[in-house]
Amino acid sequence: MRLSCRGLTVAYVEAGRAIPALTDVSFDVAAGVSVALLGPTGAGKSTLLQALKGLLEPETGVVALDGLTAADEGFAARRREVGLVFQRPELQLFAGSAREDVAFGPRRLGWPADDVAVAVEAALELVGLPPTRFGERHPYALSGGEQRRLALAGVLAMRPRLLLLDEPFVSLDPAARRALAAVLRRLLGGGTTLVLATHDVDAAWELCDHRLVLDEGRLVAAGPWAFGAGGEESLVEHGLEPPFLVELWRRLGRSAAEAPRTCAAAAEALR
Amino acid sequence: MRATVTQYVPGRSPLHRLDPRIKIVAVTALAVALFVRDSYAALAVFAAVAVVAVLVSGVPPRWFWRGLKPLLWLVGLTFVVQILFAPGEAFFSLGPIHLTWEGIERATFLSVRLVVLVVTGAVLTLTTPPVALTDALAWLTRPLRRLRVPTEELALMVTIALRFIPTLLMELDTIMRAQRARGADFAHGGITTRARALVPVLIPLFVVSFRRADDLALAMEARCYRPGLTRTRLHPLAAEARDWLALALVAVVVALAMVV
Repeated sequence: MRLSCRGLTVAYVEAGRAIPALTDVSFDVAAGVSVALLGPTGAGKSTLLQALKGLLEPETGVVALDGLTAADEGFAARRREVGLVFQRPELQLFAGSAREDVAFGPRRLGWPADDVAVAVEAALELVGLPPTRFGERHPYALSGGEQRRLALAGVLAMRPRLLLLDEPFVSLDPAARRALAAVLRRLLGGGTTLVLATHDVDAAWELCDHRLVLDEGRLVAAGPWAFGAGGEESLVEHGLEPPFLVELWRRLGRSAAEAPRTCAAAAEALR
Repeated sequence: MRATVTQYVPGRSPLHRLDPRIKIVAVTALAVALFVRDSYAALAVFAAVAVVAVLVSGVPPRWFWRGLKPLLWLVGLTFVVQILFAPGEAFFSLGPIHLTWEGIERATFLSVRLVVLVVTGAVLTLTTPPVALTDALAWLTRPLRRLRVPTEELALMVTIALRFIPTLLMELDTIMRAQRARGADFAHGGITTRARALVPVLIPLFVVSFRRADDLALAMEARCYRPGLTRTRLHPLAAEARDWLALALVAVVVALAMVV
């Protein structure tokens, strides 16, 4: 799904005063692209994701999905195709079994029971929780990493074309991280547009084509990674670091613009 | 987003710096005296005290208004009941309704009394942090410990509850948004539909809260909290000369109101 934002400004009201969370944010994301949303804590990443899903009303500015804005017919249907997974899976798991929990979203979309069942099985399979083994497990009896993937399945079952993930890698052990990264790569292969809010620049570098950098509610960088062209500085200035492989390439005296995305690619280049 | 439940307004006024125990005793004395004495002069004295306290506290009047608003229906009800059931000679009758001057007078008196009471109480809660309030209550109820009432523990429970209510409200807000992102709808449908829509919100809220309570208990034990022991305090309550002066002032006012 094609996504664009124009002049998006969101404020929280606290004790009668409006506190800006996002100020004049504008960017475009082409369909099928994966974008890393980077920025220090409190930069407004979660706010931006929730505003894109329509959970927060912007003061000013517009969000366009496939070129349609709130005033257009068909916008509501597009917004239902935006999936948002919150940072803490325990905040959305509530049903007595993994299967039931995943079925919540599709049922809310009003799909027939057969379609719901198919979507649930497919989503569980996709996130690496095979329904035969995990379908009847109680969500709260799962490990942290499994809960994270179950929460993701609950959103994937609604077949989003634009997927927004809020810090999906936080507090996952290495095996769970690998599993989640594999799921995301599979989704990207299937044409899903992805916005990934994260502190983890290494994961972002490996998975994403573009990046958006937010700091104090303002967008300070957008578009493709620009390492070797000032991109490192823009990250360091805003409390982040360049990815490990980019830094390695720079220290090796090689062009940061040509830094590899994966360990395997780095090994290949260095051999 | 920060949610506040107790409505403490930070400040540096003399009322803010007063010993919380003195404030509780003073406000209690004023409240009791307000209801014991049934004269206009006394009411005028108490109203004057409340106005002076509001001015001295430096808390913007809209905060008092905010505390008063939910009680307006009670004031209104008192007014109506007094007017309808007061004795005396009616100057206007319509069916079973008889308006008397005595009734209107009585209704006004009781309504003003209620407003004065609420404002006086609000001075206490607006100028005292919740933790100081519970500390003071724990101190004031110490005699009950002889009767094996666990006052320290009760005070701690209240403090913890107050501390976590805003956290829970924020969590509730996040959970509702997370479920709305999955298509939950809390705003439409009849009562049963809406009640059922809350299940996906309440279950995670309970689970998260119990987990947090467990963690908090462990963390407290790790820092050597043992129930039943008397704790020492970082900021021991210590009444100074100005606190006693304030208490004496309130005693004089109450005595005055008893005489006039």
